[in-house]
Amino acid sequence: MSRFTDPLTGADAVGDPTAPELTDGFDGASGAGGANAGDRDEGSVNKTGTTTVGIATDDGVVVATDRRASLGGRFVSNKSVQKVEQIHPTGVLTLVGSVGGAQSFIRTLRSEADLYEVRKGESISIGALATLAGNFARGGPWFAINPILAGVDEEGSHVYSIDPAGGVMADDYTVTGSGMQLAYGTIEGEYDEAMSMADARDLAVRAVEAASERDTGSGNGVYVAEVTGDGVDIEGFDDTDAALAER
Amino acid sequence: MQDQNQQAYDRGTSIFSPDGRLYQVEYAREAIKRGTASVGVRTADGVVLAADRQVRSPLVEEQSIEKLHRIDDHIAVASAGHVADARQLVDFAREQAQVNKLRYDEPIGVESLAKEVTDYIQRYTQSGGVRPFGVALAIGGVDPDGTPKLFETDPSGTPYEWKATAIGGNREALQGFLEEEYRPDMDLDSGVSLALETIAQGEDDEAVDPQAAEVTVIDTETHGVRSLDPEEIASHLDELDGGETDE
Repeated sequence: MSRFTDPLTGADAVGDPTAPELTDGFDGASGAGGANAGDRDEGSVNKTGTTTVGIATDDGVVVATDRRASLGGRFVSNKSVQKVEQIHPTGVLTLVGSVGGAQSFIRTLRSEADLYEVRKGESISIGALATLAGNFARGGPWFAINPILAGVDEEGSHVYSIDPAGGVMADDYTVTGSGMQLAYGTIEGEYDEAMSMADARDLAVRAVEAASERDTGSGNGVYVAEVTGDGVDIEGFDDTDAALAER
Repeated sequence: MQDQNQQAYDRGTSIFSPDGRLYQVEYAREAIKRGTASVGVRTADGVVLAADRQVRSPLVEEQSIEKLHRIDDHIAVASAGHVADARQLVDFAREQAQVNKLRYDEPIGVESLAKEVTDYIQRYTQSGGVRPFGVALAIGGVDPDGTPKLFETDPSGTPYEWKATAIGGNREALQGFLEEEYRPDMDLDSGVSLALETIAQGEDDEAVDPQAAEVTVIDTETHGVRSLDPEEIASHLDELDGGETDE
């Protein structure tokens, strides 16, 4: 890639912008989540199916996710999956698609964000983290993932969707996963630029609730993450009503 | 000139002498002293880099002797020592600046770039069959948040941050002059004058030829690298002359 090589190892001395520095046991296409992922028996691979919702407000962002994992969308293999994880002091990522791919993706991004922070003495901006996530999704060994990256930085609140081909799109609110059309239907028309965190939380939970009612890949309660400039707060609920009643 | 017992230890870069020295690295520093000096001055509203070209013959095209190099929109480098070695590091730095943009979609910080370059230089002090870089760089620029920064690299691969510094031949004298004359609150224009005045200290007749001098500024307003043309340099030099007669 570059003409500069390490004199000791012969390895490329200029970093590959699309590859993680630490690869979490993967070796590109030959890795466990690599290009041969399609060869595997799809019936035994856990998918999140999933509805994950992110809504940005002036005070922070709210992310709500369902808790179901399924096999081939026909069998509920787990009823309490936490599909939103902290990956940054003020940022979260959702797990959407193959569970293994998404978990590995989260571990890698978390490490990269930590490395950035210790090297540069400041935490990575959410925009830079989204670019990094898009680069990895496009060039890396992760397939069949479609997460939401949401967070707060000096520039404000951000919600990004990351698609499996590396597409990175910022929005005021976004939904990914198999229940997306139901969740979007709930949010559309209700969203207001000036809405409070509490109202955004309510709307995000109701969007997941609507998807849980009709999408076979979504259900079994909700996880809610609230991210402000002060940090991340994630809580799980057995049913969506409990999350609504919380406030 | 050389101590008898050091001869065995000055052959390879990766061999310490019994008293803990890396002779090849020290020889590389000597190589830097053979070149003309370059100067960097950090002011509140930008960084100034200045150099004087050694024109061996009136037939040489002065513009072809490059000691100042643009790395990215917001960073430039002044070199002292082996020009050919400098060119390698300059291109390495240019690639790293672009990698940062590809990876994070944000401009690289001056400190990050300086450390990428010094880490690369360091590898040439710990590998067999190679020699260290016979060049020092002054890396000046404006961080994405608007902070002006000035760093120096040396053949050991150590990064140093400066308010103002001289690299290359006559360094001690020029550094002494800067220590006397530098004021932290000086503006960019005064920084240019100080840099040129410092360069003049290294000339036999203490006069700088505006055609042979090179000046680049990176200002906090535009975050942009700008090279001064010979007319601008000449007018700064005239001001300096005028200022001296006034005293």
